[in-house]
Amino acid sequence: MTVNIQFCEPILNTQSADRQFLSPHIVYAALLLALVAVVLISICVGYRIYSIDQVWRAVVAFDGSETSVVIANLRLPRAIIAPLMGAGLGIAGVLVQTLSRNRIASPDTLGINAGASLGVVIASFWFGVSSLTGLSIAAATGALAASVLVFAIASSAGGLSPLRIVLIGVTFAGLGHSLVEVVLSTNEAQLSQLLFWLSGAFVDRPIALAQTGGPIIVLGAVIAIFLALPLDALQADDSTAIGLGVPLVLVRGLSFLAVSLLTGAAVSMAGPVGFIGLVVPHIARWLVGLSHRRLIPAAALIGAIYATLADVVARFVVYPAEAPVGAITAVVGGIALLVLLKRRAA
Amino acid sequence: MTEMLPTAAKHRSAMSLGAIVAVFGVLSLSTVAFGSTWIPFDQIVGVILGAGEKTQRIIVLQLRLPRVVMAILAGGGMAVAGFLLQKITRNSLASPGVLGVIDGAALGVVIFLALLSNESNALVTSIAYQPVAATIGAFLAITLVFMLSGRQASSAIRLLLFGIAVAAVAKALTVIFMLIGPIYRATQAQRWLAGAVNEVNWGEIQVTAIAILPIMVLALLAARRLPPADLDETSARSVGLNLPVFRILIFALAAALTALSVAFVGAVGFIGLMAPHLARLLVGRNVYAGIIASFLLGAIFLVGADMIVRVLFAPLEVPAGTVTAIIGAPYFLFLLMGKQRNDG
Repeated sequence: MTVNIQFCEPILNTQSADRQFLSPHIVYAALLLALVAVVLISICVGYRIYSIDQVWRAVVAFDGSETSVVIANLRLPRAIIAPLMGAGLGIAGVLVQTLSRNRIASPDTLGINAGASLGVVIASFWFGVSSLTGLSIAAATGALAASVLVFAIASSAGGLSPLRIVLIGVTFAGLGHSLVEVVLSTNEAQLSQLLFWLSGAFVDRPIALAQTGGPIIVLGAVIAIFLALPLDALQADDSTAIGLGVPLVLVRGLSFLAVSLLTGAAVSMAGPVGFIGLVVPHIARWLVGLSHRRLIPAAALIGAIYATLADVVARFVVYPAEAPVGAITAVVGGIALLVLLKRRAA
Repeated sequence: MTEMLPTAAKHRSAMSLGAIVAVFGVLSLSTVAFGSTWIPFDQIVGVILGAGEKTQRIIVLQLRLPRVVMAILAGGGMAVAGFLLQKITRNSLASPGVLGVIDGAALGVVIFLALLSNESNALVTSIAYQPVAATIGAFLAITLVFMLSGRQASSAIRLLLFGIAVAAVAKALTVIFMLIGPIYRATQAQRWLAGAVNEVNWGEIQVTAIAILPIMVLALLAARRLPPADLDETSARSVGLNLPVFRILIFALAAALTALSVAFVGAVGFIGLMAPHLARLLVGRNVYAGIIASFLLGAIFLVGADMIVRVLFAPLEVPAGTVTAIIGAPYFLFLLMGKQRNDG
C-alpha cells in the first residue's frame, strides 16, 4: 500500500510535547469530572426533572413509587449504556484512523457500523436469534466482515487514496442499509421497533444490554491499549514500522478484532449512532497529542461524554417527543466531515 | 453536433434508441399486466381506450397504471438529472444521490409537511406545492455542495465526499423533522425515504407530469450547449461553454428534475448514476440521443425495480429503492476501484 507523505508529516513528531498546552493528567481529570457531571445530568434531566436526592433514594432504597421506577428503569439504563457505547466508538475511531492513516475514517464512513446492523437484523430475523449475547456476537461478526471486506477491496485495487476508501466505505454502508431495509420490509411485525433501533437511540434499552455489551467493550479497550506502542509506530508508514520491529500482520489483525468488538458491542446496545468515531479522535488528538497511550483513554472519555450529551440533547430537540440520538450525532458528524474536507485534513 | 457524427455511428445510435424504446414499451405494458391477476395486453389497451369491464378498469386505472406512470416519470427524471450533472461537472461518478440533491429534496418535503400542517395533521395548503418545496431543498443542497467544495470541486472524488457529507446532514435533519411533523405522515415518510412507487394517485402524477415535461424540454434546449466530449475547463471556456450562468442553469434544471422525481416517490438511489452510463454506452456521445436514452433507461430501471419487488415480495411492499441500491451500489464500487486518476 502506498503512503501519501502528506499524511505522515504531522505524525512523525509523535513524542514531542509542543502540541499539548495542558498536562495529560489535568486533561484526564477534567474529562472525568465532565463525564460524571454529564451522566448525572442525563439521570436527572428529561421530561421530568429529578433532584439528586430522589435519584439516590431510587437507587439505594427502591420503593416502587413512580419516581423511583422512572429513574431505575428508564433513566439509569440509558445513562449507563450511552457512555459505554460512546467510549467504544471513540476508541474504535482512533484505531480505524490510525490503521487506514486516514483522518476522515471512522466505523461509519468505512461501513463497519452498517455491517454490524446488518449482522443484528439478519441474525434476529432469519436465524431467530433473540438472546442478547447472540445479537452481540452477530453484530461483532457483521462488523468484522464489513471491515475485512472494505479493506480487502481497498487493497486489492492497489493502494487506494484515503478519500477513495471512504467513498467505498460510505457506498458499502448504503448497500448495507438497503439490505437491512429489505429484511425489515419483509418482516413488518417488528418493523416499528427495529426502525427506532436502526436510527440509533438509548431510550428503552434493558440494562441487560450493558451486562453483555460492557465486558465486550472493556475487552476491546484492553486490546487497544495493549497495542498502543505498535500503533504509534504504524502511524508513520509500513517500512518504518517494520524497521522498529512491529509485527504488522499481528498488530493489524488484533486491531481489526478490537474495532469489531467495540463497534459490534456499541451497535448491539444502541443501534448505529453515527459519526461518533469520526469526531471523537480529532478532539482527543487536539487535547492530548498523538501518542496512543494517551489518545486511547482520552478518546474513551470524550466519546462517553459526547454520546451522553447527545442523548440529553435528543430529549429536548423535539420536546416533548424524543429524537433519535443518531440523528443528532449525524448532524454534528456531517458538519465535522465538511469542515475536515474543507481543511483538507484528508 | 449530430452532423459531426459519422453515418455508421449515427445509424448504430438510432438502432440502439429504437431497441430501448421497444424494451421500454414491452416492460411498461407487462408491468401493468402482471399482478395478482394477469390482464392480457389487448385488454389493457382496451381499458386505456375506455372499454373493459368494471373490475378490470379499477385494477388497471386505479392500482397498476398510476404506479407505472409515476415510475416512468420519476426514473426518467432522475436519469436525466444525472446525465446533466455528469456532463456539466465532467465527472462520470456524479449523480443526484451522491451530490446531496436527493436528500436535500427530502428535507424540503419534510420541512414543508412539518410547517404547513395544522393541529389535526391536515395540510393547510395544496399538496401541489410539495414539489416546489422539494425543488428548493434540492437546489439549496447542491448550491451548498459547490460553495463548500470551492476549488476542490474539480477533483471528482472530493466533490462526491462533500456531497455525501451534505447528504448525511440533510438525512439526519429529515429524521428530526419527521418527528416534529404529523405522525401519520412520518410512518409514510420512513418508507418514502427508501423510495417506493406504491400508493401514488393520479393527482400526484398530474402535478409531477405538468412540472417535469417543461423541464425536459428546457434540458433538451440547453443540451445544444453542453460540452460534447469531456473537455477540460480551459478548452470548454474557450469555446464559450461552461460559463457560470450556464452552469447554474444546468444545476437548477438537474435539481428541479431530481426534486420532482423524488417528491412523491422518495429517494430512489443510483438511477441517476447508472442510466446515463448505459445511455452513453448504447447511443454514443450525441447529447440529444443521450438525454432521450437516459430518460427511457431510467424509466426502465425504476419500472423494472418495482416489478422485481412485486414479483419477489408480493403481497408485501418492499420499497423499489432497495433494488436500485442493491444493483447500483456494487456498480459504483466497481467504478471507484477502476478509476484511478483525478484524486486530488
